[in-house]
Amino acid sequence: MNTSPEYHGPSAQAPRPQRFASWQEHHGWSAAASLRRLAARPLGSLLTIAVMGLALALPLAFYLLLGNVQKLGDAMGQSQAISVFMQTGQSGQATQLLATQLGNRPEVASVAVKSPQQGMEELAKMQGFSGALELLDDNPLPYVVQLQPRTDANAAAVESLVADVRAMRGVELVQDSDSWRKRLEALLGVGNRVVLMLALMLAAAALLVVGNTVRVDIASRSEEIGVLLLVGASDAFVRRPYLYAGIWYGLFSGIFAAALAVVIELGLAAPVAQLSQTYDGKLQVAGLPTWLLLAVPLAAAALGWLGARLVSAWQLRKAA
Amino acid sequence: MIQFEQVSKRYEGGHEALSQLSFEVPTGEMAFVTGHSGAGKSTLLKLLGLIERPSHGVITLDGQNLAKVRRGGIPRLRRRIGMVFQDHRLLMERTVFANVELPLMIGGVARAERARRVRAALEKVGLLAYERQLPATLSTGEQQRVGIARAIVARPTLLIADEPTGNLDPQLAVEIMGLFAEFQQVGTTVLIASHDLPLIKRMRKRVIVLDHGRLVADLAAQEVL
Repeated sequence: MNTSPEYHGPSAQAPRPQRFASWQEHHGWSAAASLRRLAARPLGSLLTIAVMGLALALPLAFYLLLGNVQKLGDAMGQSQAISVFMQTGQSGQATQLLATQLGNRPEVASVAVKSPQQGMEELAKMQGFSGALELLDDNPLPYVVQLQPRTDANAAAVESLVADVRAMRGVELVQDSDSWRKRLEALLGVGNRVVLMLALMLAAAALLVVGNTVRVDIASRSEEIGVLLLVGASDAFVRRPYLYAGIWYGLFSGIFAAALAVVIELGLAAPVAQLSQTYDGKLQVAGLPTWLLLAVPLAAAALGWLGARLVSAWQLRKAA
Repeated sequence: MIQFEQVSKRYEGGHEALSQLSFEVPTGEMAFVTGHSGAGKSTLLKLLGLIERPSHGVITLDGQNLAKVRRGGIPRLRRRIGMVFQDHRLLMERTVFANVELPLMIGGVARAERARRVRAALEKVGLLAYERQLPATLSTGEQQRVGIARAIVARPTLLIADEPTGNLDPQLAVEIMGLFAEFQQVGTTVLIASHDLPLIKRMRKRVIVLDHGRLVADLAAQEVL
């Protein structure tokens, strides 16, 4: 035990660049130490990550479902032609004129004119009608124009097309999938809102899960924290490893959630392909965009950090 | 260095640990605070480290009124004080080196400089050979010395110790006290709470005697027989 003035004299604070390097070093240490602590309790950590990951995967799954319903609705809307029934007594010539007029519109893909004779033949082919039709003296059917909107025409364009046709002279009735489309779109709007609210609620749940895990972490290390505070550690220094723990929990659960979503997407691929065949292959599975799959782990990491930050502020205030 | 003016501390529940205590410790002095258990020794030290706040009175440390130190300023204050505890308060899952390094890490000292200072502090307490071990593998006396190394490594101007020899045999206790005296010799102000009267007498330093939170005697070094 020797004495030298080496260890004494006023305790000058370290110079700024030194402090910065040391601060960086402590960040590195905290990130590594918190990861080691996670690995030291694999079961508990995995449970937290799984619960948080499932909570985050759920809105992703709903989002996926909604996207596919949307696509399905589009495909069904596209396959529905608009039938324009002419007033009885309108001539074939007048009908043909109207059909040509409509065929020139940009949102119309094709037009076909069905004469009363053709309509009668179609009906005759249907079972049970042939006998009934023979009783008729003359053909009561009107001329019909069948419009096929372009597949890329949006709902508003189709709607205005229908409105225009309804106003045309000689048109008795327009039958379209308009109201059906509107209903589906309203339903999808509700679905989108539900997914958004669900995502917010489940994000809050994920926040609580991380917060609680970090709270238990901090509580189990209260002795260590007490020592750190006694030797002059700032709150920022003390909570740093716990904030990193929150980031790790979030990041891993986000990756887990994104992976789950991809699995669900792959699971949907086969049945959707089957469905697609019934729509002439027009239907494709709506996948999750890559940016979303990358954003989920990052957002989850931010969520984990926030949960840890809120809890540690509260816990440290209690400890000090 | 330390100035207490009419300081009282009443804990929640009404127990008055200190009442109207006034004394001064000049810079570079070493003093003992003694008295039976419950006399207020620990409370006195806790007030200096802002582990507790006084109910009344003014405590000044190095010209700074401690009442004006807010919660956010406590870490900075504690970095100027080296604290030694009876139960040494080491982090049992970190090595001896890491324990002593802690105040320097907190103070933002660079890695190379930290290693140099930690080794110097460990050498001073005679534990350089144990730097890679965990505290649990050390004896009580050795653990206490690790605690002392941690308290002095950041070169505090004030060193306070609460019953630092409480768990040690007499021979070790004398050694530890000798260590504190050495720090005083190089300019550190040292304040030690202890109820070990024979040991205190042997050290021949100033003695402040408390009884039920009141100052009953304040003996200068030359008055201690």
